[in-house]
Amino acid sequence: MNIAYLTIEQKDQLVGQQYANDSYFNPILDANDKWVISEEEINFLANHDFLWLNDLPISVYNPKPQTQII
Amino acid sequence: MAVWGLGVINNVINWGRGAFNNLISWGIVQKTSPAGDTEIYGLRQDTDVTAFLNVTGITDATITSALDTLATDLKGYGIWDKMKAIYPFVGGTATTHKFNLKDSRDSDAAFRLAFNGGWTHSSNGALPNGTNGYADTFLTPSTSLSLNSTHISVYSRTNNARTNVDIGCEDAFGYRLYTLYNTSGNQDLSRNNNLNGSGLTTPSSLGFILNNRTTSNNMKVTLNNSIVTANSNATNQLSNAKIYIGARNTFNTNADFYSNRQLAFSTIGNGLTDTEASNLYLAVQAFQTTLNRQV
Repeated sequence: MNIAYLTIEQKDQLVGQQYANDSYFNPILDANDKWVISEEEINFLANHDFLWLNDLPISVYNPKPQTQII
Repeated sequence: MAVWGLGVINNVINWGRGAFNNLISWGIVQKTSPAGDTEIYGLRQDTDVTAFLNVTGITDATITSALDTLATDLKGYGIWDKMKAIYPFVGGTATTHKFNLKDSRDSDAAFRLAFNGGWTHSSNGALPNGTNGYADTFLTPSTSLSLNSTHISVYSRTNNARTNVDIGCEDAFGYRLYTLYNTSGNQDLSRNNNLNGSGLTTPSSLGFILNNRTTSNNMKVTLNNSIVTANSNATNQLSNAKIYIGARNTFNTNADFYSNRQLAFSTIGNGLTDTEASNLYLAVQAFQTTLNRQV
């Protein structure tokens, strides 16, 4: 699972916006509380307002520890 | 009208305005034929399927046939009216996958999906990425479902041992409704109440998973028509968090337990009797087989 890191300003630009038809960005926080989006959101990017995403480096995702389901 | 054969009365082809006026019958033989009358209905399509095809723009003959059979089966089994949402995931794009076959309006009120985060859409279904992908159904159990009569289902084409929620929600008070499979102990830990329960060893996460409550003390989870969890844990309130697909909606504030299982079908609705649950599985499996994506 790969991601791209975002600044807070970049994250704010993406919230509520579509990266492709009927598909919305969903920035989340990683284990270090850094904003990220998934590689898929970049690979399937069809919204020309956000072509700058293609310039972001791709990194391996470091998720937050998952809470236990009881 | 076309007429031939021995007698004009018994050899008739009529073309009327309705399906039941399009009858071809063969003379005296039909009176003794075990097949009975021979009727040709021409092009007839379920009206809900027609509406779905219109909004999705799908014209593929195989998908059309599969949907028509599915809708006919569900209506014939008496299941259709128990459904609030039916997501067939056909057509291969987010735009075709988002629509609810039961109510194909493009609106939140019709429980049309909103895909968020990473998804890969294909003719085999909708694959969330397990990182941040989920779909909002806009369906809240406490306002759209009935206490002691609820079900959720998914058809998973992926077998893995991740602790994923493929469909579900939990509100801030602990009222929960979700499917969850193959944790570290390979257990089903699905919930359909506000209490803890014990799951059984689950062979895989492949196939049709149904989380079903029919009474206050009867909750079952089946995988491909075999029980993987059954308990009598009561419930006293439905969740007020919207149901997500591909993850769990937690408290209406965030998604967690992201899944990376490819989903080829999903439903939300009232509780189903054992017979109805079995028939739903048969209809869904036939649907997947027609589409050549059964597991």
